[in-house]
Amino acid sequence: MTKTDAKIGVYVCQCGTNISGKVDVSAVVEFAKTLSGVAVAREYRFMCSDPGQALVEEDIANDLVDRVVVASCSPLMHESTFRAACERKGLSGYRFTMANIREHCSWVTVGPEDATDKAKALVAGAVRRAGCLEKLERRTVPVRPETLVVGAGIAGIQAALDIADAGHKVYLVEKQSSIGGQMAKFDKTFPTLDCSACILTPKMVQVGRHPNVELLTDASIESVNGYVGNFKVSVKQKSRFVDTAKCTGCGECTAVCPVETPHQFEEGLSRRKAIYRNFPQAVPGSFLIDHPETAPCQAACPIGQDVQGYLALTAEGKLDEAHALIRRTSALPAVCGRVCYHPCESSCKRSAVDDPVAVRHVKRFVLDNSPVPSDLLRPAARTGKLVAIVGSGPAGLAAAHSLALRGHDVMVYERAEQLGGMLRLGIPAYRLPREVLDADIDVIRQLGVSFKTGVDIDGVGLDRLREQYDAVYLATGAHKPAASRVKNDKAQGVVHGIEMLRRANLGEEIDLGPRVAVIGGGNTAIDAARTALRLGASDVRIIYRRSREQMPADDEEVAALEAEGIGIEFLTAPIAVRSKNGRMVGLKLQKMELGEPDDSGRRRPVPVAGSEYVVGFDTALMAIGQKPDTEYAGSRGFTLTRWGTFEINETNCSTNVMGVFAGGDAVRGPASVVEAMGDGQRAAIAIDNMLSGRQLNDGLSAPAKSPEPISEEERLTIRLSNKPRRRIRMPELDPDTRTGSFREVECGYNAALALVEASRCLSCGVCARCRECAKVCQAKAIDYDMADTVREVEVGSVILSTGFKTFDAKRIARYGFGRMPDVLTGLQFERMNSASGATGGHIRTSKGKTPNAVGIIHCVGSRDRNFNNYCSRVCCMYALKFAHLIKEKTGAEVYNFYVDMRCFGKGYEEFYQRLLSEDVRFVRGRVAEVSDFPLNEQEKNRLVIRVEDTLVGDVRRIPVDMVVLASALESQADSSKIGRLFNVSVGKDGFFMEKHPKLAPVSTATDGIYVAGACQSPKDIPDTVAQASAAAAQALSMIGKGHIEIEAAISEIDPERCAGCKVCNELCAFSAISFDLESGISAINEALCKGCGTCAAGCPSAAITARHYTDKQILAEIEGVLNDLSA
Amino acid sequence: MTKPYAYFPGCSLHATSRAYDESIRAIAAVAEIDLEEVDDWNCCGATAYMNVNEAFSHCLTARNLALAEKQSDQIVSPCSACYTNLRKTHRYLDEYSEFREQIDVALAEADLKYEGDLRVRHFLEVIVEDLGLDRIAELSTRPLEGLKVAPYYGCQIVRPLGIDDDPDRPMMLDYLLTALGATPVEFPMKTVCCGGSLMGTQEDVALRLCRNLLLCAQHHGADVIAVTCPLCQINLDAYQGRINSRYDANFRFPVLYFTQLMGIAFGVSAEALGLSRGIVRLGKPLRQSLEIQP
Repeated sequence: MTKTDAKIGVYVCQCGTNISGKVDVSAVVEFAKTLSGVAVAREYRFMCSDPGQALVEEDIANDLVDRVVVASCSPLMHESTFRAACERKGLSGYRFTMANIREHCSWVTVGPEDATDKAKALVAGAVRRAGCLEKLERRTVPVRPETLVVGAGIAGIQAALDIADAGHKVYLVEKQSSIGGQMAKFDKTFPTLDCSACILTPKMVQVGRHPNVELLTDASIESVNGYVGNFKVSVKQKSRFVDTAKCTGCGECTAVCPVETPHQFEEGLSRRKAIYRNFPQAVPGSFLIDHPETAPCQAACPIGQDVQGYLALTAEGKLDEAHALIRRTSALPAVCGRVCYHPCESSCKRSAVDDPVAVRHVKRFVLDNSPVPSDLLRPAARTGKLVAIVGSGPAGLAAAHSLALRGHDVMVYERAEQLGGMLRLGIPAYRLPREVLDADIDVIRQLGVSFKTGVDIDGVGLDRLREQYDAVYLATGAHKPAASRVKNDKAQGVVHGIEMLRRANLGEEIDLGPRVAVIGGGNTAIDAARTALRLGASDVRIIYRRSREQMPADDEEVAALEAEGIGIEFLTAPIAVRSKNGRMVGLKLQKMELGEPDDSGRRRPVPVAGSEYVVGFDTALMAIGQKPDTEYAGSRGFTLTRWGTFEINETNCSTNVMGVFAGGDAVRGPASVVEAMGDGQRAAIAIDNMLSGRQLNDGLSAPAKSPEPISEEERLTIRLSNKPRRRIRMPELDPDTRTGSFREVECGYNAALALVEASRCLSCGVCARCRECAKVCQAKAIDYDMADTVREVEVGSVILSTGFKTFDAKRIARYGFGRMPDVLTGLQFERMNSASGATGGHIRTSKGKTPNAVGIIHCVGSRDRNFNNYCSRVCCMYALKFAHLIKEKTGAEVYNFYVDMRCFGKGYEEFYQRLLSEDVRFVRGRVAEVSDFPLNEQEKNRLVIRVEDTLVGDVRRIPVDMVVLASALESQADSSKIGRLFNVSVGKDGFFMEKHPKLAPVSTATDGIYVAGACQSPKDIPDTVAQASAAAAQALSMIGKGHIEIEAAISEIDPERCAGCKVCNELCAFSAISFDLESGISAINEALCKGCGTCAAGCPSAAITARHYTDKQILAEIEGVLNDLSA
Repeated sequence: MTKPYAYFPGCSLHATSRAYDESIRAIAAVAEIDLEEVDDWNCCGATAYMNVNEAFSHCLTARNLALAEKQSDQIVSPCSACYTNLRKTHRYLDEYSEFREQIDVALAEADLKYEGDLRVRHFLEVIVEDLGLDRIAELSTRPLEGLKVAPYYGCQIVRPLGIDDDPDRPMMLDYLLTALGATPVEFPMKTVCCGGSLMGTQEDVALRLCRNLLLCAQHHGADVIAVTCPLCQINLDAYQGRINSRYDANFRFPVLYFTQLMGIAFGVSAEALGLSRGIVRLGKPLRQSLEIQP
């Protein structure tokens, strides 16, 4: 359906013989002349040449044609050439179309006749299409002058400097804490052997100080929005915990830091402190604290003790500091040092190696052997607010401690005559000596907390407290014994375990008789049994209806109990008490077996029929659980659970009654000391919030769930990277004699044991939060609470220069990296050679000796179809550099095991020749194995390289003292993530794809995003720098122009037809389509649209038109191709 | 209810390596591993036949696969050579359709058909992956405390197409030994060839290779060598005397199947494990282990 008024010019290119060698070009021209609407048809040798273009221009100028068809090569090649030619003569470039008769025809068609026919068909299609072409207008958008450079290795630094020197702003983003990238680790550069640092550091300083460069280190890209010329990028900066503006770089902090960890910058060859900087010339020069996460021990602790911190300090012998750190968050540290059930130890990652660190024992040692720090006893400025606490158990005391530290006046009411609640009434003195408890309470008293004992708060009392005080905390515990289902349990001799413990702990005389049964399997049962033994019973036995695995008591307690000769009857339950004259004489027992699981998930014990038997006992101590006594509160409108515990908000511990909070066993039922303390601490924060007029939940989050167990994979990693060193046993009194008194059973570590035990900590959180560095920092630069920041930058263009990572040589197990200390990676060897590195530039084996022979293995992970097919391009050359350095520094024999030598750059081959004359040995062959197992005297204590020498044709065993692996260069692990963010595709090896491998090597398919350096493909420094400058030039040319033209051949949405189904939103690969909530239809961002047409094809209501490729134009072209030749 | 494993002992286990078969059956009973011997199985062709006539050799193995498929969805072999052959044929049938057609014709002659759905597994894999290290540790009522073992995998079990482990530095047997309470020593030659059937044709070469292995075990302080393959066992065990006289050495390594070590740890009697069938006498550490009442 060609328009009759169109004047179409057809120009068929011979392309030398590329087209005319196969296609009869003249025949195509003659055929074209017969087509409807064709005004002229010509042929020419090279249409793309100036005279070729002139043909078109002339015909337009002479008004012979108003639409142009060029039949030649691919539009990718020359569409823009001919468009420009049309436009020079005032014809819209969109009135031009191309027929590809080269790539699609002459090059790929076998017979000349077929080729000619196909060319005719393609031309016919193009002619029909040309008849329907419309004039389109391009739009221009302004370009922001700022540039974002991602990655501050040598590529990023070079690009940033080029742009900044031209007077434009650059944001230079770096993932690491200092800039310089991999080049900063190198010692020398090939082939000139100039010092890497000497040529790099001036550039680092220059870029760090440049007024036009803003450096963002420790940073990662969060999101990218916008389009060419107008990108909005949000950048997240990880907290350094050190203020870079204040830090003077004096280094006092590292001197006092007790934590050591492998030095990543030194490739693990040396260790650094948790507060550190990569190297002395680092830019920025500020120190930073390595604290990727809270250590699992601290996370598991209900009161958030800085466990790793005080272990680190103790290991260094700094007991006073450790003591101060412990008391920061613990109201009862000495108590916890004895009786805590230590969830920290349960989550300790050291258990993957051998046993968890004995945190509790170390804590006890610190508390026993250092004075209470005086500055901790200074309470904050008084607020004048009054808080009443009911109950002086761990929950109440922790709350009192915490509130007093916040400046409130606290009064603690206690029903008993002595303070401590269950700590005193429930826990026997052989576990928790009374003077220890008293000392902890005394510290709380010194903070200004007042106590009233012997006061039983009833309902009326509670009303009065609410009137008199600004807040009330109820921590009344769980003291009421649970009822038993044993028949005849009112007989004389049946006593509640908790009641017996209370009386024993208060020093009352109790006669239990010689034979005592303890019913139950919890800690109370254990305490009751061991106390009974100490009160003179000769035969004490525990009766427990479930199995050992199901016993809730702590394993350590059970072990101590058994050591003292107390037996446990598992799967046994009492049914009735046998009595004579009201006085107990024995128990009727029954055997149990495990049945189906119950509510708690434990298998329910069920009686074994006919298994009843009777055993003689004088006393039965019932230790089958306790309940809170909350009758006083029930009458005052408090919501209670069906177990009689308080119902509270679990984040802020508030009850349903205004101003009253609750915690500890009164909320949980019988639980542990440290959990109760955690409750108290949490409530104190909430009460402080309330009294200070803040939101109750300020600074509080929901209680942490129990941490994820360590994964098998992590367990293995931990085990392989740490030598076993078993936990030190706590010295105890002799089990045979200790039961004669209530003397403390555990004797405590001595200094030597404690320090060694503390040093078993693996420093999972790296920085231990011991706060020593802040003490010595005169600039006050350290801020442990510093948070990560996110900032948004607006830029016109982006240069990706994210560099490479090296191949993990452990993946080739036969080379022994990671197992044999003298097998090094290339980067490790660079650090070893560096004057500022681990050995001060000396080449030394792990035993500190100068090697007599060194093997360098090429292509480790490169040119290997198991890993990377490609050649990493730099390894041959850096291997030569290494060989030279080894020869120069040690005179050792050097063997290079190569596959092919690839020395292709300027001066590279010459360097190779020089090395050949330096007596370096070159063995052609891929190394089979590096072994540390000697087969003869000569190989003893050395590494043996087994290799097939393909030039000699023999298998050789070559003993050396050190092996250097020339590991492959690989794309960064996160390259595809970065690629997705910036809409840059990555190749199968993970390197960024350039727009064209030869003609647009620094551009990408996304306008305004450029790539430079090894993130595009492995390359050496000269190539990297050249590419960086090229990318900078591309960005600058766009900035210089100030605006860019937006392609007009894009999609448009007909708002009348759009149904708002959003199908196109998902289809668009360039995120160019968004849904407008207000109008209920989708809209296309013209600057982002690439005109790919996917949306047009996908739109179910045909509301989208791909301009320049409309349905009409495409159908016309198809008709031309199919019909006109046969017509 | 899962099907029993189709157990393919191979010729060796009915002849020179009876101890392997006995110990497998003994520990399978303790660990409740359900093994059912493949009915009417034939020789796998061993290492030699594949080189003489590849097609015939595959036919032999395919017959075993087809028979096993009638019984189970998994065939398990304790012999590394059988395992490699079974796996190779299974894989070839899966990957090369033309080859498959030929084999199908051959099998049809015997009224058999192999669908290709079997999992081919080494007994070591079944132990470590299916029984599991935790269960093994639980069953080890007589843990091999203090026993230093050189874990020798041999070459065929790891490559080609071998167990799912690092072909250069496998750890499966090491982990198993740890679960038994023993200490696997560092053994860099754990996958280096023992000479295989060269012992019969090129004895000098095979003796040299075996001597290197023994030297390596000695160098790393092993008490015993654990093996996964009948041929490795016989080469290292039966020829130790000859190696000693040839190289003027004094090796005295008991060479035990991993299943025998498992049996000892599980408290099985020495007789049931065929421990007296070995040529090198059990050393003191092992005899001590055996004396412990489980």
